[in-house]
Amino acid sequence: MMEVGRLCTKIAGRDSGKKCVIVEIIDDSYVLVDGETRRRKCNMSHLDPINEKIDIQTGADHKKVVDEFKKLGIELIETKPKKAGERPRQQRLKNKQALEEKPKKEKPAKKEEKKTAPEETKLEKTLDSESE
Amino acid sequence: MVKEQRSRTLRRVKVKTPGGSVTTQYRKRKPSKAKCHNCGELLKGVPRERPYKMQTMAKTSKRPERPYGGQLCSKCSRRMMILKSRSLSEAKENDGSR
Repeated sequence: MMEVGRLCTKIAGRDSGKKCVIVEIIDDSYVLVDGETRRRKCNMSHLDPINEKIDIQTGADHKKVVDEFKKLGIELIETKPKKAGERPRQQRLKNKQALEEKPKKEKPAKKEEKKTAPEETKLEKTLDSESE
Repeated sequence: MVKEQRSRTLRRVKVKTPGGSVTTQYRKRKPSKAKCHNCGELLKGVPRERPYKMQTMAKTSKRPERPYGGQLCSKCSRRMMILKSRSLSEAKENDGSR
């Protein structure tokens, strides 16, 4: 029953209830599976065979599986794997380098303090005049 | 002791205070354990916490990551998936024969 090209439904795990096809028989307990599920190794006890078959060779590409599924009337949603973002540590290093490269701003020259004698207030003036 | 606290609606927790003495604190009880809708078996991987604590948790930590996770037990979900796939395939065959 379990042979290359056999359609199955996954019973267990996050892909359970989805249809897949056996692409390769790895072991007496494990098979490689592709289709609505992710392309992955799978235990045979987690598969439930359906009374349908697809003619594909062992180790067929994902593209071929997609075409064969289209013939059955099942369109697969293709998802691209996300690109791994840059690590924060690297970014930090880059920032450090940028900081080091930046020329240090020269401190603006201190304004020359104008030293002028404070003008005499009115009170002082009056006091002076009185003393005279 | 307050009159309401004397009943067993609240659970008691013994707490050691910074001074060294032991006092009893009164806290609300945890909700009942999650069960399978189909067979009533206790579910694994579903935490038993008050709703305010469940809000702060991540979605993946609150139930198993599979269809009907947190509702059906693994055995029941597996059985249901088999029934679904077979009933669908049978319906397809019947349509072809007609």
